[in-house]
Amino acid sequence: MRPIRLACGVTAALLAAACAATDGTGAAPASPAAQETVAPGYLALADDKLPAGGALNVSVHIDSGAATGYDPQLADVASTWQLLSLSYETLVTIGPDFSVQPLLAEKWETPSPTEYVFHLRPGVTFSNGRAMTADDVVGSLKRLLASKSVWRGQLGPVESVTKDGDTAVKVTLAQPYAPFLAALANVPAAVLPMKEIGDKSLDPATTLLGTGPYVVQDHRQDVSWTFRRNDRYWAEGKPAADTLTVTIAPEEAARIAALQNGGTALATLGNVDSGSMLAGAEDVKVVTQATTDFYYLMLNTRAAGSKFADPRVRQAVAIALDQRQIADVALGGKGRPTAITPAGLPGACDPAALPSAGRTVDDARKLLADAGAQNLSFTLSIFNTEPAPAVAQVIQQNLQQAGITVTIEQLDEASWSGKVYGKAPADFDAALSWFAGYADPGMVAKWWNPETAGFNAGFMRPDKELNALIDAANSGTGNRAQALTAACAKADTDAQMIPLVTRPATVAYRADALSPSLYATEGYGNVLRLVADARVKKSR
Amino acid sequence: MRLLMWWCGRALSSAVTLLGVSVLIFAAVRLMPGGFAETVLGPFATAAQRAELATRYGLDQPVFVQYGHWLAAVAGGDLGVSMISRAPVGGELLARLPVTAELTLLAVAVSVLAGVPLGVLTAVRARPGGGGAAGRLLSGLGVSVPEFVLGSLVVFVFSRYALGLEVGRWVPFGADPAANLATIILPAAVLSVFSVSVTARTTRDAVMNVLVEPYVTAAVGRGEPPWAIVRHHVLRNAATPVVTLVGTTIAYLLGGALIVEHVFNLPGVGSYVVQAVGRRDYAVVQAGVLLAAGVFIVMNVLIDLLVGVLDPRLGVTAGRRA
Repeated sequence: MRPIRLACGVTAALLAAACAATDGTGAAPASPAAQETVAPGYLALADDKLPAGGALNVSVHIDSGAATGYDPQLADVASTWQLLSLSYETLVTIGPDFSVQPLLAEKWETPSPTEYVFHLRPGVTFSNGRAMTADDVVGSLKRLLASKSVWRGQLGPVESVTKDGDTAVKVTLAQPYAPFLAALANVPAAVLPMKEIGDKSLDPATTLLGTGPYVVQDHRQDVSWTFRRNDRYWAEGKPAADTLTVTIAPEEAARIAALQNGGTALATLGNVDSGSMLAGAEDVKVVTQATTDFYYLMLNTRAAGSKFADPRVRQAVAIALDQRQIADVALGGKGRPTAITPAGLPGACDPAALPSAGRTVDDARKLLADAGAQNLSFTLSIFNTEPAPAVAQVIQQNLQQAGITVTIEQLDEASWSGKVYGKAPADFDAALSWFAGYADPGMVAKWWNPETAGFNAGFMRPDKELNALIDAANSGTGNRAQALTAACAKADTDAQMIPLVTRPATVAYRADALSPSLYATEGYGNVLRLVADARVKKSR
Repeated sequence: MRLLMWWCGRALSSAVTLLGVSVLIFAAVRLMPGGFAETVLGPFATAAQRAELATRYGLDQPVFVQYGHWLAAVAGGDLGVSMISRAPVGGELLARLPVTAELTLLAVAVSVLAGVPLGVLTAVRARPGGGGAAGRLLSGLGVSVPEFVLGSLVVFVFSRYALGLEVGRWVPFGADPAANLATIILPAAVLSVFSVSVTARTTRDAVMNVLVEPYVTAAVGRGEPPWAIVRHHVLRNAATPVVTLVGTTIAYLLGGALIVEHVFNLPGVGSYVVQAVGRRDYAVVQAGVLLAAGVFIVMNVLIDLLVGVLDPRLGVTAGRRA
């Protein structure tokens, strides 16, 4: 009985996959689809003429599941940033054009390249009613700098944080650091209620208490979060919706269904084909939000007998990869080829100008021959979440052109994590993953230095020259564009971690139930960034 | 005295079975590749942070020591704490149990209410060498199509044509009974397809076996109407295999609920355990599997008792165990 059930199931799944994966012609889209923007930098803008109030329901695929709890400073994944950003705020934020904008600091000055003075917005209170003070800001930044947070490294060479009167805070850097303000604009740099944390009346790992637009009313792990509006919120008229329910629905089909039947007003989608599935759905609008997140390929140079110890072999792989094809075929034309500085960010390198971009498959074959690796074969370990399998298949086909045989090993995320990060040296050949790209071109580039990043020390060897170029690009002195170009070229030649294509976010919403605001490009993976602006047209 | 002995025997064998299950599941979750620390701390954690986490949850101790601690806690009624939510697993299971129980009971009800009459009907209507092809095809399909395929299809169709029913949302019965039914009917229907088919098939075979018994022939000879024969002679005598099947079906449905809850996004025990497996949240997986094993064992005991009531020749006091 079981074999029959299994056979039927597999057949049906294959048919369904085949139907979903093709557009009838079998032809891949030729170029990235242009994003429809309603205003510069916006995919959607909430209609503020609509009345405020109502209940807003959204669906996302994953809950925050960190062992570190809900402490914003220790949060290191975008799904957690997204949820925590509903209750916590930072001194500055990122605008639709990636410019740094005021948030809890209404303005700031830079008396010298190493000094920043932030003037705090008056009338800001935490959701318990206590006014936010300069001590909270100073305490929060000092706590972050003293923590084991990943974000501590992104803040750069902070020398001191002090009060400058009762309403200003001064941060002094040891040397100029270009990404400093962008690093302050993400959830881990949120202003926390330090008085309550200090007297231990609040454990930020278990309770959310910030200055943000929403207050947690209820949370059931992996089921839902329920928020109510923070009536003390400093921005007049915000948030618009009275309640916000975030339903956790891991199955994409369930999110699509809830969207179609009106159970949810906005949902994040993972499969690039889901937009086509919703094409005929009345009142459902599907948009693709570009992000600075990007996929990359890891080539393990630290394993015993590594196939990638010779840089010529790695360069051959980099040359043979066709990023444009990965973006078109695996991501439905919605991704963009990128270097280590995420495509879409102002100042990012041009991937077409990288050393590997101007070379051919014949060059790759010659490099392999020179390295004595003509019959190179290796295993590519990937997690099973879409679109990673599709990306891997294009990689497999690309490398086949250069005579490289790739075996794809598809694992569940936990097994994949164990294999890639579980021990040092790691025992995989190659692996596929993605990075959050952040909001400054130099930030994610820092992960190319395993001595700074740490997590990749199990499969990557530090390159002094590359590390120096990355540091120079972030130093805030000299010609930054030139420094970033040099760092991108060096990382391309080193090729231990090869950047591939940006990772788009598909968002669908009920146009008859919701008028949302959405950036066209997002730097911190936060689809709910502008949720306080969203106007509910009708609630269920 | 014999009944007391039977109860003692069953209690002992149940305890041994549960102990065996506990060893197996404890070993299995730790043999899964990818540990808790790698999974939940993500790529950015340092080796020291991973070690600290392992120490906090006792994962750095030998496996048999971890097992001993867990077993002692479970014996004392403590199912442990979720390493993700830090909430007691017992409380979380209790909160999710009503969803799974409602789903499973509805599916069982559908199985019995649809499967038994279908089985009786097809048996009574059966002609030697003729007909029944459509029934066989349908029941064949019913037992062949896995829940995730059928569930995905139903989700797709009903998300476009809701017909008053809902997918992708859950409303507790206490909050709104009508909305609750609208959200649970489809998952229960999907979950019951397999068991309806099996129940119909089993009932049909059991009824056909009874129909050839001499006492049925005698009743026919006496000129009793067909449905009176079915009611008076056939149903009780055919009930034993059907009751046994329904009991084991409940255990099967609990397994199926795991998939169905995931597909329909119902916040039951099944989806809780599925997500816990993905994140290597050991205490949740162990408790979930132990709970399922416990339900299976209790169901078997109840079946034995019920079978004894229906047919004393097979009952516990007759010294035979079904």
